[in-house]
Amino acid sequence: MRMRIICTLFDWYWVCCKACFPVCIQFTIFAHKQRQKMNEVTQQSLPSTSPATAGQHLDSFSYDDRIVRMFALATLVWGAVATLVGLIVAILLVMPQLTVLEYISFGRLRPLHTNAAIFAFAGNGIFAAVYYSTQRLCKARMWSDTLSWLHFWGWQLIIVSAAVTLPLGITQSKEYAELEWPIDIAIALVWAGFFGVNFIMTLVKRRERHMYVALWFYIATIVTVAMLHIFNNLVVPSSFIKSVPIYAGVQDAMMQWWYGHNAVAFFLTTPFLGLMYYFLPKAAERPVFSYKLSIIHFWSLVFIYIWAGPHHLHYTALASWASSLGMIFSLMLWMPSWGGMINGLLTLRGAWHKVATDPVLKFYVVGITFYGMSTFEGPLLSVKSVNALSHYTDWTIAHVHSGALGWNGFMLFGMLYWLLPRIFQTKLWSTKLATWHFWLGTLGILLYIIPIYVAGLTQGLMWRAFTPEGNLEYPDFVETVNAILPMWWTRIGGGALYITGIVLLAVNYFMTWMSRPSTYEVPVIQAAPLSGNYVDPPAPQSRLKDAPVLELANKIDIFKQGRWHRVWERLPIRFTVWVTIAVVSASAFELIPTFLIRSNIPTIGTVTPYTPLELAGRDIFVAEGCYNCHSQMIRPLFAETERYGAYSKPGESIYDHPFQWGSRRIGPDLAREGGKQSNRWHFEHFREPDSMTKGSVMPAYPHLITQKLNFNSIPARIRAASMLGAPYTRELTESKEMALEQAKEIVKALTEQGGPIDGTVKDSSGETVKLEDTKIIALIAYMQRIGTDLFKTDAPAGSPEAQPASSDATTDPATSEPMTTENLADENKEGVQ
Amino acid sequence: MSSETVSETPKENLTDHCYDGIQEYDNPLPGWWLFLFWLFIVFAPAYVLYFHLGVESRTMEGQYDQQMENILQLRFAELGDLKPDRETILKYMDDPKWLAVGKVVYKTNCVSCHGPDGGGIVGPNLTDDYWKNVQHVEDIVKIIQNGAANGAMPAWKNRLSHINQIVLTASYIASMRSQPVPGNGKQEGSVIPPWGQ
Repeated sequence: MRMRIICTLFDWYWVCCKACFPVCIQFTIFAHKQRQKMNEVTQQSLPSTSPATAGQHLDSFSYDDRIVRMFALATLVWGAVATLVGLIVAILLVMPQLTVLEYISFGRLRPLHTNAAIFAFAGNGIFAAVYYSTQRLCKARMWSDTLSWLHFWGWQLIIVSAAVTLPLGITQSKEYAELEWPIDIAIALVWAGFFGVNFIMTLVKRRERHMYVALWFYIATIVTVAMLHIFNNLVVPSSFIKSVPIYAGVQDAMMQWWYGHNAVAFFLTTPFLGLMYYFLPKAAERPVFSYKLSIIHFWSLVFIYIWAGPHHLHYTALASWASSLGMIFSLMLWMPSWGGMINGLLTLRGAWHKVATDPVLKFYVVGITFYGMSTFEGPLLSVKSVNALSHYTDWTIAHVHSGALGWNGFMLFGMLYWLLPRIFQTKLWSTKLATWHFWLGTLGILLYIIPIYVAGLTQGLMWRAFTPEGNLEYPDFVETVNAILPMWWTRIGGGALYITGIVLLAVNYFMTWMSRPSTYEVPVIQAAPLSGNYVDPPAPQSRLKDAPVLELANKIDIFKQGRWHRVWERLPIRFTVWVTIAVVSASAFELIPTFLIRSNIPTIGTVTPYTPLELAGRDIFVAEGCYNCHSQMIRPLFAETERYGAYSKPGESIYDHPFQWGSRRIGPDLAREGGKQSNRWHFEHFREPDSMTKGSVMPAYPHLITQKLNFNSIPARIRAASMLGAPYTRELTESKEMALEQAKEIVKALTEQGGPIDGTVKDSSGETVKLEDTKIIALIAYMQRIGTDLFKTDAPAGSPEAQPASSDATTDPATSEPMTTENLADENKEGVQ
Repeated sequence: MSSETVSETPKENLTDHCYDGIQEYDNPLPGWWLFLFWLFIVFAPAYVLYFHLGVESRTMEGQYDQQMENILQLRFAELGDLKPDRETILKYMDDPKWLAVGKVVYKTNCVSCHGPDGGGIVGPNLTDDYWKNVQHVEDIVKIIQNGAANGAMPAWKNRLSHINQIVLTASYIASMRSQPVPGNGKQEGSVIPPWGQ
């Protein structure tokens, strides 16, 4: 069944590609011809800028800087939007009462913030960098102007559709992969079909024999992001705006963080290293520190990064071997990452005096330093015992912002200030203003991350604090939230400063643009095409050949001299194939065992699929983005099981498409929420959280009480779940009726517990709505179900719930009957023997 | 790759690479960098072997069980298993040390409905003389264990890790009656006699 689904999905992608590809090719060929004609014309009319080499045929061409200008502007605009949405969500955290519309709740806007920062701001920035530098490093115009153009507008359209769908609650709920399946297909097409093809073809048609290290990083970016995106987003659509991932629970978590971590690696690291390798030596006018280091740190980075994903899942229900792999590879990753930092900072040797005057270099120095800091912190956080403290806290938030604001932001700002005078063919309007941007930005970052580090540590330590008698010191969760509110307020100041810096950039950008020439000069470049009969320099000799060593040592020495790599550098297709092999093999080693080894996910007899109403409620949980603040994964740490209950087992989430383990506890964990509160409590709590928990920072969800649940969407949802292996029977034909039955039961209990007396509510227009039809009842059904299967017995339905677990369900003492000192003593005896 | 170019540019250790004006030095890898690079490569298999060779106490679950035993030992070894009867509950009502256990359980799990001071939010006031399902103090234990009012009060017997927690929580709740607060202002149930009568 699963294979069939995967095949169907591949068919889907294939059909889309097939449909679009001929069109693109036609377009491209047409545009290519037009461009050649135009080039011939300009060549005649404009004087050549390059001296002709005697006796050699030279191609004449020009670089496409228009596309660079477009991407540069998009970088600025989306940078402002992404940070502004960040500021808004930061304010919503401290003032949840400002959530006046359901569309701007924290849970819906936070994904918009992250997606905008990653794919819109950083994305457009790296495209500007790639389009500017690749043409010059290849001595070739981009292969197809049409594909460049399609890439630009396709990408902007994707961003706009993200900005519309996410506030509407249309989401897959997987972090940084929230966009629904139609947008995912568009991303795959624009990324691989437009950008990837255009880039690779430019490499193929280049006029520079060898590829510079920046291009290696671009290749790795394009190949790996395409792979990550497609495999993490394999879904079964249940409607045009809703889909179900084919993976469940542990496997879904593994796929997601394989993707999520490598989105950081191959979207926010490798392209930025490529950017650094081009723009830093350009701006500093100094040679790159070490070519050898480039080779070693490139390949080790590309190969090792892929493995590190499971460090996001330490102490979870993921098999611990996978989590250990994630940790050791993260540690091994430290030096490859620092290789990039060293090559960046040491390239500035002999140029440090320029840093004092040039804002571009200032941005680079601080940006690369933040890269070094966060790539040291990453391996540190991946150490399991450190992660036990840091995970689910603001520490992670501080970590990613030192990376995003410091490294990604500052590298892009540096690049823009360097590019502006060149793409607009004028002087930068104000160097002073740029320097101001630098200082405001730096101060902003510090004012952001320092309080958030403090907040993370504070909350992490409070969660695990015990009194000398062995009791939780801060048992009430809201205490640990209120303790960090001052830090959250300070963060707003830091964010505001950073945004002020971006405003200064916008002013500088605009004023520089105003002083551009009336028509841009398009220099014609002349360069010889690559001849087909290139001969590599002679093979190097072993430097040990006169020493009494084994033949093997000679071979190793020849290998170490790296001529083989120099050969690869002139073979872009072979290079791309090797990068692909590196990332695919690393992924396969880690992912395939997770899917195939049965013992990774021991079966729990009492775990059954969600009822139709619970499934509908779960979709509301997903749509509202609850996972942004609530985890559903209790770790086997005593402080957690004391606070939340028995730790989560792998077998509990086998029907969870998608998994909802979360990554941050702004609110408490919900993995054992079912049956913990009354229906009435949930009802009142969703209506006005502060009325149930004083000091709660959760926004109110009054719209759930009046909005009607779309019962008609349930059958399609059940079918999708059934396709993915949920053993439904009666649900397949009567899901609507079953959902309504359960809704009535919940409303009955709710009214008995003191909820709305006649089971109805009035909506904003004064119309009476029956509660059983509303979304909140479905959501309560789901809340009451979470994590209860473990306690169920196989007894017939209708018997009182929450009986002690049957013996085959689990052997964990924390989940069975309350422990007594007698059996405790027995265990101790065993321990002694 | 290196020796030839060095002779061409004697001052600087440059390669002959030039891309759009960007040159590259042929500097060797920094020694400390290479050392740390290899160090973690060597550390990796050692770590895996240590933790994944089948020694139960080194696994995640093994460590948790150990931790759990230690803390339960620390907490309840001298107490033994408490009996959920009237005398025991009343006895610990006046014992601040053990009452603290009940207080933490209350703060962790009960405040959301009964309020931090026991005055009641959607759950009933626990500080006044009006009680719905409780006649005698030992009934509190039954309510905690099995729940009440059709699930409005959840059952806790599978959720707390030790029977003593339930008994001591009952003691703590019973002790709240000595400091009545108005709470939500509702008087639910009927007046019952003081505990112990």
